[in-house]
Amino acid sequence: MKRIVRFLACLAALAGLAFWASGALPDPHAIDLSNRLASPSLQHPLGTDHLGRDLAARLVWGALPSLAAVALVLSGGLGLGVLAGGVMALGPRALRAGVQWLAETALAVPTLVTALVLSAAFGAGLLTVAMALLVTSWAPYALAVAALFDRIRGEPYWMASQALGARPSAAIVRHMLPNAWPALGALAGADAGRAVILVASLGFIGLSADTGRPEWGAMIHEYRMFLFTEPRLVLAPILTCTLVCVALHGLLDRGAAKARR
Amino acid sequence: MTAMVATARGVGRLALSWLAVVATVFVLLRAMPGDPVEVFLAQTNIAAGPETVAAYRARWGLDGPLAAQFLQWVLGFVTFDWGVSFETGRPVAEELAGRAPYSAAIGFGGMALAVAGGFCLGFAAAHRPGGWADAASRVLAVAGQALPAFAVGLVALWILGVHLRWINAFGGGVTERILLPVLLVAFFSIGSMARLARAGFHDVRRSPYYLTALSKGRSRLAALWFHGRAAGALTLMAGLAPELAWIVGGTAVAEIVFGVPGLSERIVQAVANRDYAVIQPYVALVALWVICLLQGARVLRRALDPRIP
Repeated sequence: MKRIVRFLACLAALAGLAFWASGALPDPHAIDLSNRLASPSLQHPLGTDHLGRDLAARLVWGALPSLAAVALVLSGGLGLGVLAGGVMALGPRALRAGVQWLAETALAVPTLVTALVLSAAFGAGLLTVAMALLVTSWAPYALAVAALFDRIRGEPYWMASQALGARPSAAIVRHMLPNAWPALGALAGADAGRAVILVASLGFIGLSADTGRPEWGAMIHEYRMFLFTEPRLVLAPILTCTLVCVALHGLLDRGAAKARR
Repeated sequence: MTAMVATARGVGRLALSWLAVVATVFVLLRAMPGDPVEVFLAQTNIAAGPETVAAYRARWGLDGPLAAQFLQWVLGFVTFDWGVSFETGRPVAEELAGRAPYSAAIGFGGMALAVAGGFCLGFAAAHRPGGWADAASRVLAVAGQALPAFAVGLVALWILGVHLRWINAFGGGVTERILLPVLLVAFFSIGSMARLARAGFHDVRRSPYYLTALSKGRSRLAALWFHGRAAGALTLMAGLAPELAWIVGGTAVAEIVFGVPGLSERIVQAVANRDYAVIQPYVALVALWVICLLQGARVLRRALDPRIP
Protein backbone atom coordinates (compact mmCIF):
# COMPACT_ATOMS: atom_id res chain seq x y z
CA MET A 1 0.00 0.00 0.00
CA LYS A 2 2.81 2.36 0.96
CA ARG A 3 4.49 1.50 -2.29
CA ILE A 4 1.41 2.46 -4.29
CA VAL A 5 1.19 5.79 -2.45
CA ARG A 6 4.85 6.43 -3.13
CA PHE A 7 4.32 5.57 -6.79
CA LEU A 8 1.38 7.95 -7.11
CA ALA A 9 3.35 10.68 -5.36
CA CYS A 10 6.22 10.27 -7.80
CA LEU A 11 3.80 10.30 -10.73
CA ALA A 12 2.31 13.52 -9.42
CA ALA A 13 5.78 15.01 -8.97
CA LEU A 14 6.65 14.07 -12.55
CA ALA A 15 3.44 15.64 -13.82
CA GLY A 16 4.25 18.78 -11.85
CA LEU A 17 7.74 18.85 -13.31
CA ALA A 18 6.34 18.49 -16.81
CA PHE A 19 3.86 21.28 -16.13
CA TRP A 20 6.64 23.56 -14.91
CA ALA A 21 8.85 22.62 -17.84
CA SER A 22 6.10 23.35 -20.37
CA GLY A 23 6.27 26.98 -19.24
CA ALA A 24 9.96 27.35 -18.48
CA LEU A 25 11.53 25.53 -21.43
CA PRO A 26 11.45 26.76 -25.02
CA ASP A 27 8.80 25.55 -27.44
CA PRO A 28 9.79 22.00 -28.53
CA HIS A 29 8.57 22.70 -32.07
CA ALA A 30 10.36 26.02 -32.56
CA ILE A 31 12.76 25.56 -35.49
CA ASP A 32 15.84 27.79 -35.47
CA LEU A 33 18.10 26.91 -38.38
CA SER A 34 20.70 29.52 -37.41
CA ASN A 35 21.26 27.63 -34.18
CA ARG A 36 21.63 24.05 -35.43
CA LEU A 37 23.35 21.34 -33.35
CA ALA A 38 24.28 23.86 -30.66
CA SER A 39 26.18 22.57 -27.64
CA PRO A 40 24.53 22.71 -24.21
CA SER A 41 24.20 26.24 -22.90
CA LEU A 42 22.15 28.15 -20.34
CA GLN A 43 19.44 28.85 -22.88
CA HIS A 44 19.39 25.27 -24.17
CA PRO A 45 20.35 23.01 -21.23
CA LEU A 46 20.96 20.00 -23.51
CA GLY A 47 21.72 21.85 -26.71
CA THR A 48 19.70 21.79 -29.92
CA ASP A 49 19.08 19.23 -32.66
CA HIS A 50 19.66 19.33 -36.41
CA LEU A 51 16.73 21.71 -36.87
CA GLY A 52 17.71 23.94 -33.96
CA ARG A 53 14.95 22.62 -31.69
CA ASP A 54 15.61 22.52 -27.95
CA LEU A 55 16.52 18.96 -26.93
CA ALA A 56 15.52 19.31 -23.26
CA ALA A 57 12.06 20.58 -24.15
CA ARG A 58 11.57 17.72 -26.60
CA LEU A 59 12.62 15.19 -23.95
CA VAL A 60 10.14 16.60 -21.44
CA TRP A 61 7.28 16.64 -23.94
CA GLY A 62 8.26 13.14 -25.05
CA ALA A 63 7.39 11.85 -21.58
CA LEU A 64 3.67 12.35 -22.21
CA PRO A 65 2.94 9.31 -24.41
CA SER A 66 5.06 7.02 -22.22
CA LEU A 67 3.45 8.07 -18.97
CA ALA A 68 -0.01 7.88 -20.48
CA ALA A 69 0.70 4.32 -21.65
CA VAL A 70 1.95 3.39 -18.18
CA ALA A 71 -1.21 4.71 -16.55
CA LEU A 72 -3.47 2.92 -19.06
CA VAL A 73 -1.66 -0.41 -18.79
CA LEU A 74 -1.38 -0.41 -15.01
CA SER A 75 -5.04 0.38 -14.42
CA GLY A 76 -6.32 -1.96 -17.14
CA GLY A 77 -3.94 -4.84 -16.46
CA LEU A 78 -4.45 -4.79 -12.72
CA GLY A 79 -8.23 -4.59 -13.04
CA LEU A 80 -8.53 -7.34 -15.62
CA GLY A 81 -5.95 -9.52 -13.90
CA VAL A 82 -7.56 -9.38 -10.46
CA LEU A 83 -10.94 -10.07 -12.04
CA ALA A 84 -9.63 -13.08 -13.98
CA GLY A 85 -7.73 -14.32 -10.94
CA GLY A 86 -10.92 -14.16 -8.92
CA VAL A 87 -12.75 -16.16 -11.58
CA MET A 88 -9.91 -18.68 -11.64
CA ALA A 89 -10.09 -19.13 -7.88
CA LEU A 90 -13.83 -18.93 -7.26
CA GLY A 91 -15.63 -19.34 -10.59
CA PRO A 92 -17.44 -22.39 -11.93
CA ARG A 93 -15.19 -25.33 -12.70
CA ALA A 94 -15.53 -25.19 -16.49
CA LEU A 95 -14.81 -21.46 -16.58
CA ARG A 96 -11.83 -21.88 -14.26
CA ALA A 97 -9.97 -24.21 -16.60
CA GLY A 98 -10.76 -21.98 -19.59
CA VAL A 99 -9.46 -18.83 -17.92
CA GLN A 100 -6.35 -20.65 -16.72
CA TRP A 101 -5.62 -21.86 -20.25
CA LEU A 102 -6.20 -18.34 -21.58
CA ALA A 103 -3.82 -16.84 -19.02
CA GLU A 104 -1.07 -19.35 -19.74
CA THR A 105 -1.47 -18.82 -23.47
CA ALA A 106 -1.50 -15.04 -23.16
CA LEU A 107 1.90 -15.18 -21.44
CA ALA A 108 3.51 -16.42 -24.64
CA VAL A 109 2.03 -13.76 -26.92
CA PRO A 110 4.81 -11.55 -28.27
CA THR A 111 3.83 -8.00 -27.38
CA LEU A 112 5.59 -6.40 -30.32
CA VAL A 113 3.79 -8.65 -32.79
CA THR A 114 0.45 -7.88 -31.13
CA ALA A 115 1.26 -4.20 -31.34
CA LEU A 116 2.10 -4.53 -35.03
CA VAL A 117 -1.14 -6.39 -35.81
CA LEU A 118 -3.23 -3.94 -33.82
CA SER A 119 -1.59 -0.97 -35.48
CA ALA A 120 -2.38 -2.52 -38.84
CA ALA A 121 -5.99 -2.93 -37.78
CA PHE A 122 -6.68 0.23 -35.79
CA GLY A 123 -3.87 2.51 -36.90
CA ALA A 124 -0.87 3.41 -34.74
CA GLY A 125 -1.60 5.24 -31.54
CA LEU A 126 -1.43 5.26 -27.81
CA LEU A 127 -4.58 3.19 -27.35
CA THR A 128 -3.19 0.57 -29.72
CA VAL A 129 -0.01 0.30 -27.66
CA ALA A 130 -2.01 0.02 -24.46
CA MET A 131 -4.24 -2.68 -25.94
CA ALA A 132 -1.24 -4.66 -27.15
CA LEU A 133 0.29 -4.55 -23.68
CA LEU A 134 -3.00 -5.53 -22.06
CA VAL A 135 -3.24 -8.71 -24.15
CA THR A 136 -0.32 -10.13 -22.16
CA SER A 137 -0.08 -8.10 -18.99
CA TRP A 138 -3.28 -9.25 -17.27
CA ALA A 139 -2.15 -12.89 -17.23
CA PRO A 140 0.62 -12.73 -14.58
CA TYR A 141 -1.69 -10.81 -12.22
CA ALA A 142 -4.41 -13.41 -12.72
CA LEU A 143 -2.06 -16.33 -12.10
CA ALA A 144 -0.57 -14.64 -9.05
CA VAL A 145 -3.98 -13.87 -7.56
CA ALA A 146 -5.20 -17.42 -8.21
CA ALA A 147 -2.08 -18.99 -6.66
CA LEU A 148 -2.34 -16.69 -3.67
CA PHE A 149 -5.96 -17.58 -3.22
CA ASP A 150 -5.16 -21.27 -3.21
CA ARG A 151 -2.69 -20.65 -0.41
CA ILE A 152 -5.01 -18.43 1.63
CA ARG A 153 -7.81 -20.98 1.43
CA GLY A 154 -5.88 -23.18 3.87
CA GLU A 155 -5.27 -20.37 6.38
CA PRO A 156 -7.24 -20.36 9.64
CA TYR A 157 -8.42 -16.76 9.24
CA TRP A 158 -10.00 -17.61 5.90
CA MET A 159 -11.82 -20.63 7.31
CA ALA A 160 -12.94 -18.53 10.27
CA SER A 161 -14.37 -15.87 7.98
CA GLN A 162 -16.14 -18.58 5.99
CA ALA A 163 -17.53 -20.15 9.14
CA LEU A 164 -18.84 -16.75 10.20
CA GLY A 165 -20.67 -16.55 6.88
CA ALA A 166 -18.73 -13.76 5.12
CA ARG A 167 -19.79 -13.08 1.54
CA PRO A 168 -17.14 -13.95 -1.11
CA SER A 169 -16.80 -10.33 -2.26
CA ALA A 170 -16.17 -9.08 1.27
CA ALA A 171 -13.70 -11.89 1.91
CA ILE A 172 -11.77 -11.00 -1.25
CA VAL A 173 -11.54 -7.34 -0.32
CA ARG A 174 -10.60 -8.01 3.29
CA HIS A 175 -8.24 -10.99 3.03
CA MET A 176 -6.98 -11.49 -0.46
CA LEU A 177 -6.19 -8.04 -1.82
CA PRO A 178 -4.05 -6.87 1.12
CA ASN A 179 -2.00 -10.06 0.85
CA ALA A 180 -1.72 -9.73 -2.89
CA TRP A 181 -0.31 -6.18 -2.95
CA PRO A 182 3.42 -7.04 -2.70
CA ALA A 183 3.32 -9.56 -5.55
CA LEU A 184 1.03 -7.40 -7.68
CA GLY A 185 3.19 -4.35 -7.08
CA ALA A 186 6.24 -6.24 -8.28
CA LEU A 187 4.45 -7.29 -11.44
CA ALA A 188 3.19 -3.74 -11.91
CA GLY A 189 6.76 -2.44 -11.80
CA ALA A 190 7.78 -4.79 -14.60
CA ASP A 191 4.67 -3.84 -16.59
CA ALA A 192 5.27 -0.13 -16.21
CA GLY A 193 8.82 -0.50 -17.48
CA ARG A 194 7.64 -2.65 -20.35
CA ALA A 195 5.06 -0.05 -21.32
CA VAL A 196 7.71 2.68 -21.50
CA ILE A 197 9.99 0.48 -23.59
CA LEU A 198 7.24 -0.64 -25.96
CA VAL A 199 6.10 2.92 -26.61
CA ALA A 200 9.71 3.83 -27.39
CA SER A 201 10.22 0.71 -29.55
CA LEU A 202 7.13 1.42 -31.64
CA GLY A 203 8.19 5.04 -31.96
CA PHE A 204 11.60 3.88 -33.12
CA ILE A 205 10.10 1.60 -35.74
CA GLY A 206 8.02 4.52 -36.94
CA LEU A 207 4.63 3.49 -35.60
CA SER A 208 4.23 6.11 -32.90
CA ALA A 209 0.95 7.94 -32.53
CA ASP A 210 1.86 11.23 -34.13
CA THR A 211 5.19 11.69 -35.85
CA GLY A 212 5.05 15.45 -35.40
CA ARG A 213 4.92 15.26 -31.63
CA PRO A 214 8.10 14.57 -29.62
CA GLU A 215 8.40 10.96 -28.43
CA TRP A 216 11.54 9.26 -27.11
CA GLY A 217 11.63 6.35 -29.53
CA ALA A 218 10.82 8.54 -32.52
CA MET A 219 13.55 10.96 -31.40
CA ILE A 220 16.11 8.16 -31.26
CA HIS A 221 15.07 7.10 -34.75
CA GLU A 222 15.21 10.67 -36.07
CA TYR A 223 18.62 11.38 -34.56
CA ARG A 224 20.23 8.02 -35.24
CA MET A 225 22.10 9.38 -38.26
CA PHE A 226 23.89 11.74 -35.86
CA LEU A 227 24.98 8.80 -33.73
CA PHE A 228 28.52 9.09 -35.00
CA THR A 229 28.87 12.87 -35.05
CA GLU A 230 26.60 14.10 -32.23
CA PRO A 231 26.03 11.10 -29.89
CA ARG A 232 24.48 13.50 -27.34
CA LEU A 233 21.29 13.63 -29.44
CA VAL A 234 20.81 9.84 -29.32
CA LEU A 235 22.13 9.17 -25.85
CA ALA A 236 19.90 11.75 -24.14
CA PRO A 237 16.58 10.07 -25.02
CA ILE A 238 18.06 6.61 -24.40
CA LEU A 239 19.24 7.60 -20.94
CA THR A 240 15.94 9.28 -20.13
CA CYS A 241 14.04 6.17 -21.17
CA THR A 242 16.30 3.89 -19.12
CA LEU A 243 16.17 6.14 -16.08
CA VAL A 244 12.38 6.20 -16.14
CA CYS A 245 12.28 2.39 -16.43
CA VAL A 246 14.71 1.90 -13.56
CA ALA A 247 12.80 4.43 -11.45
CA LEU A 248 9.49 2.68 -12.11
CA HIS A 249 11.05 -0.69 -11.27
CA GLY A 250 12.59 0.67 -8.10
CA LEU A 251 9.33 2.20 -6.98
CA LEU A 252 7.08 -0.78 -7.62
CA ASP A 253 9.38 -3.74 -7.88
CA ARG A 254 11.44 -3.76 -4.67
CA GLY A 255 12.53 -7.28 -3.93
CA ALA A 256 10.49 -8.63 -6.81
CA ALA A 257 13.27 -10.95 -7.87
CA LYS A 258 13.28 -12.47 -4.40
CA ALA A 259 9.51 -12.80 -4.24
CA ARG A 260 9.15 -14.39 -7.63
CA ARG A 261 12.22 -16.48 -8.10
CA MET B 1 -1.19 -47.44 -28.64
CA THR B 2 -2.11 -45.09 -25.82
CA ALA B 3 1.06 -43.16 -26.49
CA MET B 4 0.02 -42.71 -30.10
CA VAL B 5 -3.46 -41.55 -29.09
CA ALA B 6 -1.94 -39.11 -26.61
CA THR B 7 0.41 -37.76 -29.25
CA ALA B 8 -2.41 -37.36 -31.75
CA ARG B 9 -4.46 -35.55 -29.10
CA GLY B 10 -1.55 -33.27 -28.30
CA VAL B 11 -1.01 -32.40 -31.93
CA GLY B 12 -4.73 -31.79 -32.34
CA ARG B 13 -4.76 -29.43 -29.38
CA LEU B 14 -1.78 -27.53 -30.78
CA ALA B 15 -3.44 -27.22 -34.17
CA LEU B 16 -6.56 -25.88 -32.44
CA SER B 17 -4.57 -23.22 -30.56
CA TRP B 18 -2.88 -22.19 -33.78
CA LEU B 19 -6.20 -22.00 -35.62
CA ALA B 20 -7.68 -19.91 -32.81
CA VAL B 21 -4.85 -17.36 -32.98
CA VAL B 22 -4.90 -17.19 -36.76
CA ALA B 23 -8.71 -16.91 -36.92
CA THR B 24 -8.69 -14.08 -34.36
CA VAL B 25 -6.21 -12.08 -36.38
CA PHE B 26 -8.03 -12.90 -39.62
CA VAL B 27 -11.37 -11.62 -38.34
CA LEU B 28 -9.75 -8.61 -36.66
CA LEU B 29 -8.01 -7.47 -39.83
CA ARG B 30 -11.10 -7.98 -41.99
CA ALA B 31 -13.48 -6.33 -39.54
CA MET B 32 -11.62 -3.06 -39.75
CA PRO B 33 -12.98 -0.11 -41.72
CA GLY B 34 -11.07 0.70 -44.88
CA ASP B 35 -11.30 -1.69 -47.82
CA PRO B 36 -7.80 -2.66 -49.06
CA VAL B 37 -9.05 -2.81 -52.66
CA GLU B 38 -10.38 0.73 -52.54
CA VAL B 39 -7.23 1.97 -50.82
CA PHE B 40 -5.11 0.32 -53.51
CA LEU B 41 -7.19 1.66 -56.38
CA ALA B 42 -7.21 5.14 -54.87
CA GLN B 43 -3.38 5.04 -54.82
CA THR B 44 -3.18 4.09 -58.49
CA ASN B 45 -5.42 7.03 -59.46
CA ILE B 46 -7.44 4.89 -61.83
CA ALA B 47 -11.19 5.39 -61.97
CA ALA B 48 -12.14 1.77 -61.40
CA GLY B 49 -15.48 0.29 -62.33
CA PRO B 50 -17.28 -2.25 -60.19
CA GLU B 51 -15.99 -5.14 -62.30
CA THR B 52 -12.36 -4.11 -61.62
CA VAL B 53 -13.06 -3.98 -57.90
CA ALA B 54 -14.73 -7.40 -58.08
CA ALA B 55 -11.76 -8.82 -59.99
CA TYR B 56 -9.30 -7.56 -57.37
CA ARG B 57 -11.49 -8.89 -54.57
CA ALA B 58 -11.52 -12.32 -56.18
CA ARG B 59 -7.76 -12.23 -56.78
CA TRP B 60 -6.97 -11.25 -53.20
CA GLY B 61 -9.46 -13.70 -51.73
CA LEU B 62 -11.71 -10.99 -50.33
CA ASP B 63 -14.99 -12.12 -51.88
CA GLY B 64 -17.53 -14.48 -50.40
CA PRO B 65 -18.53 -14.92 -46.76
CA LEU B 66 -15.91 -14.59 -44.00
CA ALA B 67 -15.88 -18.29 -43.09
CA ALA B 68 -15.29 -19.28 -46.72
CA GLN B 69 -12.50 -16.71 -47.00
CA PHE B 70 -10.87 -18.12 -43.89
CA LEU B 71 -11.15 -21.71 -45.08
CA GLN B 72 -9.67 -20.73 -48.42
CA TRP B 73 -6.86 -18.88 -46.67
CA VAL B 74 -5.98 -21.76 -44.34
CA LEU B 75 -5.96 -24.26 -47.19
CA GLY B 76 -3.76 -21.88 -49.16
CA PHE B 77 -1.40 -21.40 -46.22
CA VAL B 78 -0.99 -25.11 -45.63
CA THR B 79 -0.19 -25.72 -49.30
CA PHE B 80 2.25 -22.76 -49.38
CA ASP B 81 -0.02 -20.78 -51.66
CA TRP B 82 0.08 -17.58 -49.62
CA GLY B 83 -1.43 -15.25 -52.20
CA VAL B 84 0.04 -12.01 -53.51
CA SER B 85 1.01 -8.87 -51.64
CA PHE B 86 -1.63 -6.13 -51.99
CA GLU B 87 1.15 -3.64 -52.27
CA THR B 88 3.79 -5.09 -54.57
CA GLY B 89 1.74 -7.75 -56.34
CA ARG B 90 4.50 -10.33 -55.82
CA PRO B 91 3.80 -13.74 -54.27
CA VAL B 92 3.99 -13.47 -50.48
CA ALA B 93 5.52 -16.92 -50.01
CA GLU B 94 8.42 -15.95 -52.26
CA GLU B 95 8.96 -12.61 -50.54
CA LEU B 96 8.91 -14.11 -47.05
CA ALA B 97 10.93 -17.22 -47.92
CA GLY B 98 13.96 -15.09 -48.76
CA ARG B 99 13.73 -13.28 -45.44
CA ALA B 100 12.66 -16.01 -43.04
CA PRO B 101 16.11 -17.67 -42.75
CA TYR B 102 17.59 -14.48 -41.25
CA SER B 103 14.80 -14.14 -38.69
CA ALA B 104 14.88 -17.84 -37.86
CA ALA B 105 18.66 -17.80 -37.41
CA ILE B 106 18.53 -14.77 -35.12
CA GLY B 107 15.56 -16.00 -33.11
CA PHE B 108 16.78 -19.56 -32.72
CA GLY B 109 20.39 -18.56 -32.15
CA GLY B 110 19.38 -15.98 -29.56
CA MET B 111 17.13 -18.40 -27.76
CA ALA B 112 19.66 -21.23 -27.78
CA LEU B 113 22.37 -18.92 -26.47
CA ALA B 114 20.08 -17.50 -23.78
CA VAL B 115 18.98 -20.96 -22.59
CA ALA B 116 22.46 -22.49 -22.63
CA GLY B 117 24.17 -19.41 -21.21
CA GLY B 118 21.46 -18.87 -18.62
CA PHE B 119 21.72 -22.48 -17.50
CA CYS B 120 25.48 -22.26 -17.03
CA LEU B 121 25.32 -18.86 -15.35
CA GLY B 122 22.55 -20.09 -13.07
CA PHE B 123 24.66 -23.09 -12.10
CA ALA B 124 27.63 -20.86 -11.31
CA ALA B 125 25.40 -18.48 -9.38
CA ALA B 126 23.88 -21.27 -7.29
CA HIS B 127 27.29 -22.82 -6.66
CA ARG B 128 28.49 -19.62 -5.00
CA PRO B 129 25.59 -17.49 -3.79
CA GLY B 130 26.77 -13.91 -3.55
CA GLY B 131 29.69 -14.58 -5.88
CA TRP B 132 30.46 -12.86 -9.15
CA ALA B 133 28.17 -15.09 -11.20
CA ASP B 134 25.28 -14.41 -8.83
CA ALA B 135 25.85 -10.66 -9.08
CA ALA B 136 26.24 -10.81 -12.86
CA SER B 137 23.01 -12.74 -13.30
CA ARG B 138 21.16 -10.24 -11.14
CA VAL B 139 22.54 -7.25 -13.05
CA LEU B 140 21.69 -8.91 -16.37
CA ALA B 141 18.16 -9.70 -15.20
CA VAL B 142 17.50 -6.10 -14.21
CA ALA B 143 19.15 -4.77 -17.39
CA GLY B 144 16.97 -7.06 -19.48
CA GLN B 145 13.86 -5.53 -18.02
CA ALA B 146 14.86 -1.90 -17.80
CA LEU B 147 16.86 -1.17 -20.97
CA PRO B 148 15.25 -0.69 -24.37
CA ALA B 149 16.70 -3.31 -26.73
CA PHE B 150 16.95 -1.04 -29.74
CA ALA B 151 18.85 1.53 -27.70
CA VAL B 152 21.37 -1.04 -26.53
CA GLY B 153 21.80 -2.14 -30.14
CA LEU B 154 22.40 1.44 -31.27
CA VAL B 155 24.94 2.09 -28.52
CA ALA B 156 26.69 -1.19 -29.39
CA LEU B 157 26.88 -0.04 -33.00
CA TRP B 158 28.28 3.29 -31.88
CA ILE B 159 30.95 1.77 -29.67
CA LEU B 160 31.94 -1.14 -31.94
CA GLY B 161 31.61 0.75 -35.19
CA VAL B 162 32.93 4.19 -34.35
CA HIS B 163 35.16 3.96 -31.33
CA LEU B 164 36.72 0.55 -31.78
CA ARG B 165 36.14 0.19 -35.54
CA TRP B 166 35.75 -3.56 -35.15
CA ILE B 167 32.73 -3.77 -37.40
CA ASN B 168 31.38 -2.02 -40.42
CA ALA B 169 28.20 -0.48 -39.04
CA PHE B 170 25.16 -0.83 -41.30
CA GLY B 171 27.40 -2.61 -43.74
CA GLY B 172 27.16 -6.08 -44.17
CA GLY B 173 28.94 -9.35 -43.36
CA VAL B 174 27.73 -12.25 -41.32
CA THR B 175 29.01 -10.60 -38.11
CA GLU B 176 26.76 -7.58 -38.45
CA ARG B 177 23.79 -9.44 -39.79
CA ILE B 178 23.64 -12.52 -37.59
CA LEU B 179 26.14 -12.47 -34.74
CA LEU B 180 25.35 -9.05 -33.27
CA PRO B 181 21.56 -9.52 -33.41
CA VAL B 182 21.92 -12.96 -31.83
CA LEU B 183 24.01 -11.48 -29.02
CA LEU B 184 21.51 -8.67 -28.54
CA VAL B 185 18.56 -11.06 -28.30
CA ALA B 186 20.44 -13.34 -25.92
CA PHE B 187 21.64 -10.43 -23.77
CA PHE B 188 18.09 -9.53 -22.84
CA SER B 189 16.98 -13.03 -21.89
CA ILE B 190 20.06 -14.54 -20.35
CA GLY B 191 19.65 -12.76 -17.01
CA SER B 192 16.15 -13.91 -16.22
CA MET B 193 16.95 -17.39 -17.56
CA ALA B 194 19.92 -17.54 -15.20
CA ARG B 195 17.79 -16.46 -12.25
CA LEU B 196 15.28 -19.20 -13.05
CA ALA B 197 17.97 -21.89 -13.34
CA ARG B 198 19.58 -20.62 -10.15
CA ALA B 199 16.31 -21.03 -8.27
CA GLY B 200 16.12 -24.65 -9.42
CA PHE B 201 19.70 -25.41 -8.42
CA HIS B 202 19.30 -23.56 -5.16
CA ASP B 203 16.34 -25.68 -4.05
CA VAL B 204 18.48 -28.78 -4.49
CA ARG B 205 21.08 -27.43 -2.10
CA ARG B 206 18.58 -27.68 0.72
CA SER B 207 17.47 -31.23 -0.10
CA PRO B 208 18.49 -34.31 1.90
CA TYR B 209 19.95 -36.17 -1.09
CA TYR B 210 22.36 -33.31 -1.73
CA LEU B 211 23.55 -33.52 1.87
CA THR B 212 23.88 -37.29 1.53
CA ALA B 213 26.02 -36.85 -1.58
CA LEU B 214 28.23 -34.38 0.32
CA SER B 215 28.59 -36.76 3.26
CA LYS B 216 29.63 -39.50 0.84
CA GLY B 217 32.59 -37.31 0.00
CA ARG B 218 31.55 -35.78 -3.28
CA SER B 219 32.72 -32.24 -3.89
CA ARG B 220 30.06 -29.52 -3.70
CA LEU B 221 30.48 -28.76 -7.39
CA ALA B 222 30.03 -32.38 -8.47
CA ALA B 223 27.10 -32.96 -6.12
CA LEU B 224 25.30 -29.83 -7.29
CA TRP B 225 25.84 -30.74 -10.93
CA PHE B 226 24.86 -34.38 -10.54
CA HIS B 227 21.74 -33.81 -8.45
CA GLY B 228 20.77 -30.32 -9.54
CA ARG B 229 20.99 -30.22 -13.32
CA ALA B 230 17.54 -31.72 -13.88
CA ALA B 231 15.95 -29.34 -11.38
CA GLY B 232 17.74 -26.36 -12.91
CA ALA B 233 16.65 -27.30 -16.41
CA LEU B 234 13.11 -27.91 -15.16
CA THR B 235 12.55 -24.46 -13.66
CA LEU B 236 14.18 -22.91 -16.71
CA MET B 237 11.77 -24.70 -19.04
CA ALA B 238 8.82 -23.77 -16.84
CA GLY B 239 9.66 -20.08 -17.19
CA LEU B 240 10.18 -20.22 -20.93
CA ALA B 241 6.80 -18.81 -22.00
CA PRO B 242 7.32 -15.14 -21.05
CA GLU B 243 10.92 -15.27 -22.31
CA LEU B 244 9.81 -16.73 -25.61
CA ALA B 245 7.40 -13.86 -26.13
CA TRP B 246 10.29 -11.51 -25.49
CA ILE B 247 12.62 -13.29 -27.88
CA VAL B 248 10.19 -12.99 -30.80
CA GLY B 249 9.80 -9.26 -30.20
CA GLY B 250 13.50 -8.84 -29.51
CA THR B 251 14.36 -10.53 -32.80
CA ALA B 252 12.22 -8.01 -34.65
CA VAL B 253 13.85 -5.07 -32.89
CA ALA B 254 17.36 -6.44 -33.45
CA GLU B 255 16.64 -6.89 -37.15
CA ILE B 256 15.50 -3.32 -37.49
CA VAL B 257 18.41 -1.85 -35.53
CA PHE B 258 21.11 -3.74 -37.41
CA GLY B 259 19.42 -3.46 -40.79
CA VAL B 260 19.01 -7.20 -41.27
CA PRO B 261 16.89 -8.08 -44.31
CA GLY B 262 14.66 -10.33 -42.20
CA LEU B 263 10.90 -10.61 -41.85
CA SER B 264 10.42 -7.65 -39.52
CA GLU B 265 11.44 -4.96 -41.95
CA ARG B 266 8.87 -6.23 -44.44
CA ILE B 267 6.21 -6.50 -41.73
CA VAL B 268 6.66 -2.93 -40.54
CA GLN B 269 6.29 -1.78 -44.12
CA ALA B 270 3.20 -3.98 -44.49
CA VAL B 271 1.69 -2.60 -41.29
CA ALA B 272 2.19 0.96 -42.48
CA ASN B 273 0.43 0.11 -45.76
CA ARG B 274 -2.17 -2.23 -44.24
CA ASP B 275 -0.99 -5.04 -46.48
CA TYR B 276 -2.99 -7.82 -44.80
CA ALA B 277 -1.82 -10.45 -47.27
CA VAL B 278 1.68 -10.19 -45.75
CA ILE B 279 0.68 -9.67 -42.11
CA GLN B 280 -1.54 -12.75 -41.99
CA PRO B 281 1.11 -15.35 -42.93
CA TYR B 282 3.63 -13.61 -40.67
CA VAL B 283 1.34 -13.95 -37.66
CA ALA B 284 0.63 -17.55 -38.62
CA LEU B 285 4.37 -18.28 -38.74
CA VAL B 286 5.08 -16.58 -35.41
CA ALA B 287 2.20 -18.42 -33.77
CA LEU B 288 3.49 -21.72 -35.16
CA TRP B 289 7.00 -21.03 -33.85
CA VAL B 290 5.82 -20.05 -30.37
CA ILE B 291 3.40 -22.97 -30.07
CA CYS B 292 5.97 -25.52 -31.25
CA LEU B 293 8.64 -24.24 -28.86
CA LEU B 294 6.25 -24.18 -25.90
CA GLN B 295 5.22 -27.74 -26.68
CA GLY B 296 8.85 -28.74 -27.05
CA ALA B 297 9.61 -27.27 -23.62
CA ARG B 298 6.62 -29.13 -22.16
CA VAL B 299 7.80 -32.45 -23.61
CA LEU B 300 11.27 -31.81 -22.25
CA ARG B 301 9.92 -31.02 -18.80
CA ARG B 302 7.94 -34.23 -18.82
CA ALA B 303 11.05 -36.15 -19.79
CA LEU B 304 12.99 -34.52 -16.95
CA ASP B 305 10.28 -35.00 -14.36
CA PRO B 306 7.78 -37.81 -15.00
CA ARG B 307 5.55 -36.50 -12.20
CA ILE B 308 4.39 -33.60 -14.38
CA PRO B 309 1.07 -34.57 -15.99
